[in-house]
Amino acid sequence: MPTSSPLVQLEALTKTYREGDQDRTVLEDLSLELHGGAFSVLMGRSGAGKSTLLNLISGIDLPTAGHVRIGNTELTTLSETERTTFRRANIGFVFQSFNLISTLTVGENVRLPLELSGEAPRAGREQARALLERVGIADRAQDFPDRLSGGEQQRVAVARALAHEPVLVLADEPTGNLDYETGQAVLSLLGDLVQDTDTTLLVATHDPEVLPRADRVFHLRGGTLREEVPEYIGASR
Amino acid sequence: MTLLQRSSRRYLTRHPWLMGLSVLGVAIGVAVVVAIDLANTSASRAFQLSAETVTGTATHQVVGTGETLDDDVYRRLRTAGVRPSAPVVEGYGTLRRGDRTFQIIGIDPLADAAFRPYLGTGASGDLDLGPFMARDVALLSAPTAADLGVSPGDTLRVENEGTTHAVAVAGLIEPRNERTRRAVANLLVVDVSTAQRLFGQRGRVSRIDLLAPSDEAAQAAYLDRVRRVLPDGARLQRSDTRTETVAQMTEAFDLNLTALSLLALIVGAFLIYNTMTFSIVQRRGLLGRLRALGVTRGQVFRLVLGEAAALGLVGSVLGVLLGVVLASGLVQLLAQTINDLYFVVEVREVTVAPWTLAKGALLGMGTTLLAALPPAREATNAPVSTVLRRSTQETALRRWAPWWAGAGVLMAGGGTLLLAATQQSIWAGYGALFCLLVGAALLTPLAVVGLANTARPLLGRLAGVIGRMAARGVVTNLSRTGVAIAALTVAIAATVGVGIMIDSFRGTVSDWLEQSLQADVYVQPPSLVFRRSTATLDSTVAARLRAVEGVAGAYSVRRVRVQAQVGPTELVAVEPGPTTEEVYQLRSGAPETAWPAVRSGASVLVSEPYSYRYDVGVGDTLRLQTDRGEQPFAVRGVYYDYGSDLGVALMSRTTYEQYYDDRAVSGLAFAAADTTSVDALVANMRTSVAGLQDVLIRSNKALRETSMRVFDRTFTITTVLRLLAIAVAFIGVLTALMALALERRREMGVLRATGMTPPQVGGYLTLQSSLMGAIAGVLSLPLGYVLAYVLVFVINKRSFGWTLQLSVPSDVLLQALVLAVGAALLAGLYPTWRMARASPALALQDEG
Repeated sequence: MPTSSPLVQLEALTKTYREGDQDRTVLEDLSLELHGGAFSVLMGRSGAGKSTLLNLISGIDLPTAGHVRIGNTELTTLSETERTTFRRANIGFVFQSFNLISTLTVGENVRLPLELSGEAPRAGREQARALLERVGIADRAQDFPDRLSGGEQQRVAVARALAHEPVLVLADEPTGNLDYETGQAVLSLLGDLVQDTDTTLLVATHDPEVLPRADRVFHLRGGTLREEVPEYIGASR
Repeated sequence: MTLLQRSSRRYLTRHPWLMGLSVLGVAIGVAVVVAIDLANTSASRAFQLSAETVTGTATHQVVGTGETLDDDVYRRLRTAGVRPSAPVVEGYGTLRRGDRTFQIIGIDPLADAAFRPYLGTGASGDLDLGPFMARDVALLSAPTAADLGVSPGDTLRVENEGTTHAVAVAGLIEPRNERTRRAVANLLVVDVSTAQRLFGQRGRVSRIDLLAPSDEAAQAAYLDRVRRVLPDGARLQRSDTRTETVAQMTEAFDLNLTALSLLALIVGAFLIYNTMTFSIVQRRGLLGRLRALGVTRGQVFRLVLGEAAALGLVGSVLGVLLGVVLASGLVQLLAQTINDLYFVVEVREVTVAPWTLAKGALLGMGTTLLAALPPAREATNAPVSTVLRRSTQETALRRWAPWWAGAGVLMAGGGTLLLAATQQSIWAGYGALFCLLVGAALLTPLAVVGLANTARPLLGRLAGVIGRMAARGVVTNLSRTGVAIAALTVAIAATVGVGIMIDSFRGTVSDWLEQSLQADVYVQPPSLVFRRSTATLDSTVAARLRAVEGVAGAYSVRRVRVQAQVGPTELVAVEPGPTTEEVYQLRSGAPETAWPAVRSGASVLVSEPYSYRYDVGVGDTLRLQTDRGEQPFAVRGVYYDYGSDLGVALMSRTTYEQYYDDRAVSGLAFAAADTTSVDALVANMRTSVAGLQDVLIRSNKALRETSMRVFDRTFTITTVLRLLAIAVAFIGVLTALMALALERRREMGVLRATGMTPPQVGGYLTLQSSLMGAIAGVLSLPLGYVLAYVLVFVINKRSFGWTLQLSVPSDVLLQALVLAVGAALLAGLYPTWRMARASPALALQDEG
């Protein structure tokens, strides 16, 4: 387990939603520290608040109370535009439903974060090609996402998440829409890639098959977070 | 091209029908604006060119009190040494060959060279002055002669006010450049004496052209010298005064035409708004993903505006091209209307001004971008998180509907305030109309919820669960249906408003004609300008007609143009008959005092448009230029008159003869004796004047029919504009509903998967489209009525000063409903066809 200073620091995080006339607290006084290069898993049932937590960590959403610090940046003090700029430079996403941009080809989807970060088109193209080769679908670079299988789409999503060399990758149920074997293959690919690039990975899931690959495991229940340290953690890495 | 732009382009090209129809909507809108602008410009250019041609280099003119001036004034000027000076007799005639209207100008070739050198009448000219001055001969442009197949020596038959004259072609004018070619294309040049014979103006000229020195002091001294020579009734004016007057005549007419042409563009703007909003709503997920990947709000905003700009650009370019084509058709309609209402103008070609085209394109782009602003803002609010579902948005939208409605009420209130705060501004009137339209669009979502919920039990009884689903679907998809229905409502209401306005106008004019045409037979010479005829009835013809057996009474009318302190004025001198007081219904002033005053002395009545245009009312004094100098006339009443939007001042014939030397009559109204039928009287009259001036002898009924025909003709262009706006509205309906149905592929997939047969899905879609069309149709009726109200009581009043009676024709209302539901049904066909063939499994796939 890495021992350097924490990359992600959540402090007394609370998130409350207004539903009709009532407030519903999804996350309550939650704190967490993740170190650089760690593979962490966030377990919890549907509706437990996993996606909400990922949205807060990425700056997509703001907490009702508490702090979110990535590296030296306190996200809660940033403006919307600053958070967006920070996100596109430092964070990669992998979603359950792949969320590829249907109007861009596979290659273009991978290049998009690079272009948004201001990377030169030629360098971006080469980097994208290298990543697609790494995930094993370089031959589909010119295809549009709807021509790909679910597993292939998620591979593209993985390549896209890592294209701009983020410090943190957030994956929300990355195997949720895949069969067992494909899911395992995608997880393995994701794990290898973040390990190779020393990227921090936080996977939100309720799939226990992910656990053997994890350095740390957190359980989200009733709005609070609890860490588990079973023996098999990190066994398969 | 960046990846974001590429993504945009692909989205647009993947929806060719939707985008194509939107582009078409913008294109038609721009085309109508460009076409009207080109037609207006062409007509005014044609008039300006012909005015400049006959004015030549003259700086000033001496004119008479009425249409003409005693030619003795010219002799006085020459004797006093006012040179260069040249007499001009001017008018219009129709050439039998080619049925073309020509401007005829009578000149003195010996004095004219300084003014109109292009005619070749000077010392260096090759015109043989002998025959030109001695016989009835004419010069015309060489290209026109070639068009007509005429050569020097040929005889032309020129018709004017019912009399035909023969003139021989003495020579051809060779234009030296394109401008001169166009300027002289419809010009016939004759000697002054020939023109006097042609127009029956023996001893009189239309004006005397002068060339004043350019030096200010010298000019003042020169003009002073001219004024000292002029007798009473002769006036000195700048030579461009007439062109200015003519421009003022058609100002309101042109403005309204332009505003109406903008209507099509506004409808087009709603179409763009609808398409862009739809595309945003449909791509909400995609935009959210982009935002998650780090695309900023600003980038999303620019992306959407960029798409709109692309659509606007293509639509505008197409629209400009289409506008040029449309203009060639509209220009003739416009020229006809101007000829019917204002003055003679012959427009043979469309002047394609680059600025007009650029203006049209800019307007198209600007409108498109403006219409895309709200959807672009909406796009920046696309939730970054992917967990927020559309149902949440729909609920939020329904919650917001009352607030929007409140904003709509405020907007409409703002429009009403704008009307109340301004008295005369026509643009403020149109601004208020726009506020009302936008206000209504904002009110629509709330109205949709109400109407769809009301229709739900009814549709449930008619079509069971499918009926209830169809009605419920309209409410649950409010983010799409609300916008579509609002766009349709506005588009249809605009056409309803204009339809009601035209019908109200027509009804009012028809009632007015019924009231004002009380005599049995009307006689007048044919005139090129229907509403403002100052043609003169031949005195022999008038005398013979009065003597026809069966005539119980004859009452003359004389129309002349004179100068008043407020501006050029059409003066009508009537010989009052027993029903005159019924003919001229007073809007203000007491009939029991007004009429005796008008009959006995220096008093006048003015028509409602005149009163409005010049702010002249009962108790005011009108100072008219007469042959006895400038004289005051008390205004005793304001009467209803729909014959001329320029307005008229009316006096009795006795008073007219007291102040003017003119004894001619423009028309006669006859009452038939009890023992004679109107048809028999008309036949007798025709026999009595056979072989003389070819006058129009019409029964009361025939004149009424002709008047209404001319009325309809003057509204042809408005009707064409309305039809074009309907076409854009129709495209709007089609686009909106088709997009909506296609976008709900997934929902249809779920329905098919749960056991709905293709016909049931088709029925569901069609029912829902029809319901939306019907809601738009129903909502458009009250809005259309409000728009008509503003058009009739504000815009018309401010433009022309007319009081119109608002009448709501059932066919216009029915048309609106049929348009809405018909287009909706049609729009449902294609998606229904596609759904019937689509595999439910494919439809269920997430398109993203």
